[in-house]
Amino acid sequence: MNEQRRQVLQMLAEGRITPDEAERLIDALDREQPESSPGATRAKPRPRYLRVVVSSADNFGGDGPGRVNVRVPLQLLRAGVRLASLIPPQALSKVNAELNKSGVPIDLTELKPQHIEELIEQLDDITVDVDQPDAKVQVFCE
Amino acid sequence: MIPQLVTVRHRRPNGRSLPLYIPVLPVLLVLSPLLLLAVLAVLAACLTTRVNPVGVLRRSGQLLWALPGTRIEIEQGRTAVLVSVK
Repeated sequence: MNEQRRQVLQMLAEGRITPDEAERLIDALDREQPESSPGATRAKPRPRYLRVVVSSADNFGGDGPGRVNVRVPLQLLRAGVRLASLIPPQALSKVNAELNKSGVPIDLTELKPQHIEELIEQLDDITVDVDQPDAKVQVFCE
Repeated sequence: MIPQLVTVRHRRPNGRSLPLYIPVLPVLLVLSPLLLLAVLAVLAACLTTRVNPVGVLRRSGQLLWALPGTRIEIEQGRTAVLVSVK
């Protein structure tokens, strides 16, 4: 017997609810049961890390193949975005001007923190695989 | 949780590995006078640029708190560098 059903019966025994009310509550619990039963599919655990793996067969400097493996907590990305949202507008306009000069016409003032937060929330499902004969890049959340 | 241990491991081409364990809290305590100066400099910069200093300190703290779990490994042939924050 689950805890909620026990509570309903306890309330009935104490006379706090009528038998009809108890029956309605138990019916309501029964309706909820199939969704929360142990056999039902469990929610996928939320990923906690963003992982970037780069493997290269290139022999830079005759030293052998290279490999980069970076694991960053998603919480760190969120904290970084929140901190970056405090950059004053005058600094952002200077950055915009420099980006324009370099041929990257991106207006950073249009990039709102809540948009980036949403982007990070959706990173959970992202998987990027780039396969080349001499290099492989993987970006995914775990 | 604040980072407790930063591990830096450097593997040299001859295969020898040099691990360096940095306990964060004792290091912060030792460097606390410098940190105080740094915080004052940040506060002054915030006031000059009209940025909310409380927000900056709070979000910097959040950034520090989110660091545990970070791991960076770079290997090139027989040379490798590993930085891990726990």
